[in-house]
Amino acid sequence: MSASSGEEAIRAWAAARRLPEPYLARWLALGPDDRTALLAAVEGLRMRAGQLIAALDLLEEISVREAQPVAAILARIEVRRILNGAGSRPGRASALLAALRAIRFPRLARATERIAREIAALGLPRGIRITPPRELASDEVRVELIAHGGEELNELLGALARHARALARIADLAAGVGWNGDEI
Amino acid sequence: MRFDLDAVYLEEEMRETPLARRVIAALAPGVPVYRVPDGRSAARADREAADPFAAGKRRMVIMRRRSRFLMGCPAASNEFACCGYLVMELASNCPMDCGYCFLQEFVADNPGFQIYANYADAFAELDRVQAGAGRPLRIGTGELADSLAFDSLTGMSRDFVRYFAGRDDLTLELKTKTDEIENLLEIDSRGRTLVSWTLSPERVFRSSEHRTAPPAARIAAARRVLEAGYRVGFHLDPIIAYEGADRDYAALLDRLFDSIPAARIEFFSLGGLRMTPGLRAAARRRFPRDPMLLGEEVLAPDGRYRAFAPLRMALYAAINGRIAKEKSKTRVYLCMENAGMHRRALGEAPPTPAVLGARLAGGN
Repeated sequence: MSASSGEEAIRAWAAARRLPEPYLARWLALGPDDRTALLAAVEGLRMRAGQLIAALDLLEEISVREAQPVAAILARIEVRRILNGAGSRPGRASALLAALRAIRFPRLARATERIAREIAALGLPRGIRITPPRELASDEVRVELIAHGGEELNELLGALARHARALARIADLAAGVGWNGDEI
Repeated sequence: MRFDLDAVYLEEEMRETPLARRVIAALAPGVPVYRVPDGRSAARADREAADPFAAGKRRMVIMRRRSRFLMGCPAASNEFACCGYLVMELASNCPMDCGYCFLQEFVADNPGFQIYANYADAFAELDRVQAGAGRPLRIGTGELADSLAFDSLTGMSRDFVRYFAGRDDLTLELKTKTDEIENLLEIDSRGRTLVSWTLSPERVFRSSEHRTAPPAARIAAARRVLEAGYRVGFHLDPIIAYEGADRDYAALLDRLFDSIPAARIEFFSLGGLRMTPGLRAAARRRFPRDPMLLGEEVLAPDGRYRAFAPLRMALYAAINGRIAKEKSKTRVYLCMENAGMHRRALGEAPPTPAVLGARLAGGN
């Protein structure tokens, strides 16, 4: 694709989806290979304008953080696997954004995953919900009990008591205590 | 420090003040001086400029301060474990240009580099505050401007160091990222002035701290003022949590302790990078290629973007651990963090602002 035809295709995509002008300008300001690679991704996954905006933000930030062009980021194995993979296009578009977010926030992604794994491993009854702080932005862990009747509530409280030590460890992790040196 | 001034605006009422005379005599040739009836208008943002904040830095305004010089630290809040700091505003804005600087938002509407020629009025305020305090106070001048960046022009530090030298219950803190200490070396501070440096690893300095002195020069300057009878402290603030930051901060502290034994350092304040959404947008607009502004910050409950809590906590603990290895009694405290973070990162509950403030001021 020539530079001018690439630009035309981007303008056409933006017009069709009413992409706001500032985002179009940022897209066109990328290098020729970068903007074309992004166009291929958004067309391939039939992304919406909002998804393009999110992807553009993440790609630009990763590019500065890692001193890598956008095209190289989109060529990474974990990204290519999504772009070329099976599954519905909307599902893959969401997966692409999640993958870019994990690249943009690598330690946050690892930390969030570890806490989620620890919570899942407890095998708590359905009526107990443990919610770590959103994006680990604070140290506040929420514990919710959803019971129907006293007997059920007693069972849930018993389960909580049996897992008290493990839950405290999860709360510690959310507060930054108990991590191994190389984990975050 | 080299000043790149486009012009100086001198408020008519201040034209015969000693400060105005000193500054104008020290200006580089060719810098125009305009007299204006009210300096406030000259300090306002030039909205036509490509970067109004940067343009403000090149426009010095010598004017009268119309409000009090002394105030509580603007960062203080009930949410945080604070240090009881008082600030004295002698100037606003700064000739240096750090990518993360909160002034980019705080003085966005009035970015002119204001210097208050009636600064001697602050002495009466200091007398009053001292009389009513009932405890030692630490008073800093480095909040809305670097304390020493313009001292080669104004010489203000000499007057303040002399004033504080005669006050046993007051400590002056001069906070800087420069190595402009020549004026200080001429004066006996009687230990009542503490000079503090903001220190960052080389990587942060190169990426974000434009026109500041390199970290090694700051450490060398600290050593010299210490030998001249001043107390010294260090602000590791903002701590930027990039990958490898823990190693870089440890190396920075190694370098510092090679030059200045921990036992001779009054305090370390630690503060993670925090940015309101407005500051973050302004900083990224001005420095779009600075990776230090693109860390793993998330929107925290206080409405500021901060490195996610476990990451911040890990860095504080690692830095505190490195300082603790020196086995000195140097105080370490966190800036703009809550008591829980303080307890977990430093291993103890924070003192009240009054207690910590008095300790930092009293030097014992």
